[in-house]
Amino acid sequence: MAEEAAPILCDVLVVGGGMAGAIAALAARDAGARVVLVRRAPGSTGLSGGAISVAHDPSALPEVPFAGRAGVVESARRVAATVAGHPYQVLRDSLDRLWNAVEFASGQLSHVLAPPTGRNRWLLTPFGKVHPAATCQRSMVAGDLAEARGRMAVVAARGHLWWDAGLVASGAARARHLGAPEVQVALLDLFMWEEAALARPVDLARLLEAPGAAEQVGELLAERLPRGSTVALFPPVLGLTPEARVAERIEGRAGIPVAEFLSDVPSVPGLRLQRAIDLRLGAAGVEVLRGEVREASALALEARVGGRKVVAKSWVLATGRFAGGGIARRGELVEPALGLPVLASEGPFAEAGARLAARSPWALTVRDSRSPQPLLSAGLKVDGELRPLDAEGRVVNPRLFAAGAVVGGHDQASDGTGMGVAIFTGWLAGRAAAGVARAQRALPGVG
Amino acid sequence: MADRKSYDVVVLGGGVNGAGTARDCAMRGLSVLLLEKRDLASGASGASSGMIHGGIRYMLSDRKVTELACRDAGYIRRIAPHLVFRIPFLMPFASRAEEASLAERAAWYATEVYVGTYDLYQPLKGGKPSTRLTPAEMYALEPSLRPGLGGAVTLDEWGIDGQRLCLLNALSAEAHGAEVRTWTEATELVREGGRAVAVRWRDLVTGEHGEARAGAVLNATGAWSPHWGRLNGVEVPMRPGKGVHLSLDRRFSNYGIICRAVDGRQMFLMPHEDESIIGTTDDDFYGDPDDLEATSDEVAYLLEGVESLVPSVRRARVTRAWSGVRTTLYEYGKTEDALSREHQLLDHAPEGAEGLFSFVGGKLASYRAQSEEITDRLLSFLGKAPRPCRTHEEPLPGGDAVADAHELARRHGVGEGAVRRLVYRHGSRAREVLLLADDDPRLKLVVCRDEGILAAEVVFIARHEKVRRLEDLRRRCRLGIAGCGGLDCARLGAQLVAHELDWDGDRLRAELHQLLEVNWRERRAVLDGFQLSQEELLRAVHRGLGEV
Repeated sequence: MAEEAAPILCDVLVVGGGMAGAIAALAARDAGARVVLVRRAPGSTGLSGGAISVAHDPSALPEVPFAGRAGVVESARRVAATVAGHPYQVLRDSLDRLWNAVEFASGQLSHVLAPPTGRNRWLLTPFGKVHPAATCQRSMVAGDLAEARGRMAVVAARGHLWWDAGLVASGAARARHLGAPEVQVALLDLFMWEEAALARPVDLARLLEAPGAAEQVGELLAERLPRGSTVALFPPVLGLTPEARVAERIEGRAGIPVAEFLSDVPSVPGLRLQRAIDLRLGAAGVEVLRGEVREASALALEARVGGRKVVAKSWVLATGRFAGGGIARRGELVEPALGLPVLASEGPFAEAGARLAARSPWALTVRDSRSPQPLLSAGLKVDGELRPLDAEGRVVNPRLFAAGAVVGGHDQASDGTGMGVAIFTGWLAGRAAAGVARAQRALPGVG
Repeated sequence: MADRKSYDVVVLGGGVNGAGTARDCAMRGLSVLLLEKRDLASGASGASSGMIHGGIRYMLSDRKVTELACRDAGYIRRIAPHLVFRIPFLMPFASRAEEASLAERAAWYATEVYVGTYDLYQPLKGGKPSTRLTPAEMYALEPSLRPGLGGAVTLDEWGIDGQRLCLLNALSAEAHGAEVRTWTEATELVREGGRAVAVRWRDLVTGEHGEARAGAVLNATGAWSPHWGRLNGVEVPMRPGKGVHLSLDRRFSNYGIICRAVDGRQMFLMPHEDESIIGTTDDDFYGDPDDLEATSDEVAYLLEGVESLVPSVRRARVTRAWSGVRTTLYEYGKTEDALSREHQLLDHAPEGAEGLFSFVGGKLASYRAQSEEITDRLLSFLGKAPRPCRTHEEPLPGGDAVADAHELARRHGVGEGAVRRLVYRHGSRAREVLLLADDDPRLKLVVCRDEGILAAEVVFIARHEKVRRLEDLRRRCRLGIAGCGGLDCARLGAQLVAHELDWDGDRLRAELHQLLEVNWRERRAVLDGFQLSQEELLRAVHRGLGEV
């Protein structure tokens, strides 16, 4: 029998390397813990569109101008007051610290994320809709419709079909009375190279990173942009890595601010964010293991990763929802890593409890896709300290915390709070896990 | 000012019988208007199993149906060779020879005789004769079958894209002078002195309305006929049956496999185009055909039936569950499966609507013969000189020659996989699509990688294939219905169509919403495993960012 490799010992084990797991790891690290983060593969954070959406006011009338809208934290309070089962409601007593979490996250990831202002930024999507976000990537700030002044030029690339600048601009035109600037479409000879016509967004981002490419685009802008343009809005392909500084390089030649609109899938900004997270984890001294957590026990909090035993004083489970693999449906709803019960949902099933997991997809969905979908908001039920609960409402293990989309009760894909919940729960769970680890260390004979 | 025109025949319903009859009437010199309240093939024709099978199921009860179906299958291969593909089926024997009981042996013998009788009809449709496979031969062909089976007999059938078949008939009808209006509802039948003389219609997209004077009116609205008849004072007896199919994300088996459901009903798993299809349920339907959805219990029934022979189907990814309503002839006291697939042309003269006819029953595979029969009847009713039917001789659009995909791919510099799909859907007209891409290389972009849809194909379809709503693209080229659910292709496809049809941003978003809503209803009952993960991404994009 092969000799067993020495176990990995740490204070806090974080399972999952998306936004929630990363913020949990960084928060625990910040609190002095020794942190190991295990991740299998990139999840939904790598597919996200570039906005850090925390909350927008569910009670706001569509005609209220951007400037008159509730701030981010106040909006989250209103979500907590109105959406049964939402994590903001479960954590309502801690919501006064939501802003600390958002500032922590944007500070940790400050080379990609812009500093938040307390108000939502209003960003255009490829569908020509306007999307609120507490903060966004730096390369998107100049596209904030609530702040931009003058005339915005939405850049249409003559050589590529993927985005429709007219559609994007139509969204801004509809938001004129809410405070959006004037917009116009500027058709430019962009992506005219032969390989660009059939390229996908990631390929275009790589093409722009090449030396000279961004500069060439900037010169084209300076030459061809309609007079009086004060900002140029690009498709979300301004480089895969922040270090390539594609937006700045274009701005340098164009002489006006440049921004990207948000992305759908596949998402260059999502990959950029995931890369920034990975770099930050390394720089902060979080040990990152690639692999799957196996033979994990929720009671003993032990597991194996790549054949090695991992022993931690506390755990943060941040494995995501369906796309991340934190929750799955295989005939019925399960939490695959630890086998925890899937008990939380929203709307009519907010209190469904143990009956939730085995219900059919038909029973857990609503005919109008725009309605909240209980199936899509299924996940773990947690207490006010983010500790997963069992069917009887008891804490499964006081050293186990959950963060991000694995926590149920919100339709994180569509309700505009997904990143906010990831950051807030990640920050709270990371700090709590570090606290538990510290207390364990203080006990004689433990650790 | 309302539109007022006169026609020899007004056809209601753009399913395969309506479109087929419109074509035949137009080819025989009649002036024709076809009204369809949604899109072509949006009812039972578009929700059929996608086969022009010879109707072996009906051989015992309706040998006439079998013969008619086989003969016509042969004709359809002639007029649309690109759209028809061979599906060999296996009918496995449930136990091994050495363990078989006398009853089982008798059943095998009966099956062989049965299939052997069917072989007599195979030459009519160009099918291959059946063979008996030993267990070893059978498992070599189809390793996913459960162990312990006693071999199989084979059965040759033809698959087809029923939605494009309807479209091609409508396009051909137009080429022969017919007028085809989709998304246009026949709101009212106008009667004068015991005769049906006109149909009032309303365009559901533009709100226009008009009155079409008609020498004769054919009601071919399928499951909608009883309701439409009631509104207009005539009775169309029918026993509608709901049929549900499942699509899997890939070709799950090499061959079609005939299985038995828990209640003993025959059903199948078969490779079809780029996916596999499981079908079908058959249950009396008393609901509203406009409000049709498959439910999770129907999905479970179908999977259980296939699982009895192919256990691994439980791990398959079901991408959607789609349903239609059959329009079988009315009979009391029979089970659904025992109902005849025969057809009838009802004459409503005794009800004070002379000149109004309703078509009930029939099969997709026999649509051409059915259309011929209806047209003969309409010609004689209108007192026109009989003219010979040529619908079995003249090719449908694109059916005149089979294009060489390999050669086209090479010449136009487009991936061969995408060109194969293009040639399948468009036949000889694939060339015209590729010429668009030659003029504008951006149109070589593959919009959907599951289905191999080129941007050029979307543009071609928007220009030439009667597209009025974005969701029509589901039926023209399967846009948005593969496993991705439209994540990759829906926005891009919508942009291309919007550009061709001059839609503004609001219209585009409304069309996108409609497309995604229809897709959602087909997925609700099957959200499990990876398809549920995909749903989350779709929702993030389309509800989160698109708010559509």
